[in-house]
Amino acid sequence: MADSPENRGWIGRIWNAIWTPAVMFSSGFLLLAGFLAGILFWGGFHWTLELTNTEEFCVSCHTMETNLGEYRETIHYNNHSGVRAICSDCHVPHEWNHKIKAKIMAVKDVYHELAGTISTPEKYEEHRLSMATAVWKKMKASDSRECRNCHNFDYMDFTLQETRAASEHQRAIDENMTCIDCHQGIAHSLPPGYQERYQEVTETLASKSSGTLQQQTASNGDDIRSFLTTRAD
Amino acid sequence: MLEILGTIGANVISLPGILGLALGMMTRRVWLGALMGGLVGVAETLIFAHGSFTNVQTIELLIAVVVGLCAGSLGSAIRIKGATV
Repeated sequence: MADSPENRGWIGRIWNAIWTPAVMFSSGFLLLAGFLAGILFWGGFHWTLELTNTEEFCVSCHTMETNLGEYRETIHYNNHSGVRAICSDCHVPHEWNHKIKAKIMAVKDVYHELAGTISTPEKYEEHRLSMATAVWKKMKASDSRECRNCHNFDYMDFTLQETRAASEHQRAIDENMTCIDCHQGIAHSLPPGYQERYQEVTETLASKSSGTLQQQTASNGDDIRSFLTTRAD
Repeated sequence: MLEILGTIGANVISLPGILGLALGMMTRRVWLGALMGGLVGVAETLIFAHGSFTNVQTIELLIAVVVGLCAGSLGSAIRIKGATV
């Protein structure tokens, strides 16, 4: 008898044990044990996931040194209130589905770390525009979802903002613009030709969504960056 | 490609995968399990689009529904194989 329990391999025996009704445990015991095991598993999974959101984890890769240095010069790292936005605040969505998607897609970062794609300053500069483009595209498509975890037009008091900032934010609301339309490069340096590339991103996404092109990029992005940098100092 | 893989993975360990599987385990009718899983896929996409179909991307909806269908069917198969009632 080839398929008798005695002749089965260990995989077959485990398979058989899984599908055999439990006679030694009550339903209550199995329910409670499953519930507790579920809590332990889910808690452990979520805790591990949160560990990958820490700044220490993000910058533990050699290739992250350049962008860490640039980020440390900005208002999101150092400011009068001490409230900070770390890597994951801007690059990892809060909502579960989007977060898991971002985590799975981040596997490519591990691959490029191992492959040494941006392992030298020269290689980093060579790829800076394409890396920035990927982030802009994601932010533009999601209506700057990660920015809006902290910043919200509904709670901005324009009377406390400088005149130019208030008028630009009002224009952003009126013209249905999104944060990244003006605030590119607020945490990392910008490569040459970024404005043209951002315009391409905007046009590509606009043509995909409505077939119409929109002029939604800031005319004075450099001014915004210099203003924020000054405030950070 | 990576985006599609990410979306599939996210749905597997989100509502369509987990709730779809659980709902599928409540019935022996595979079609009903698949249907419930698929509906969860639609509901989940809508929830993450803040209740508006205009924010729903077709590919995301499609992947969520397919994952829900598979999870629901698998749940029913588990019920058939693993329960005597």
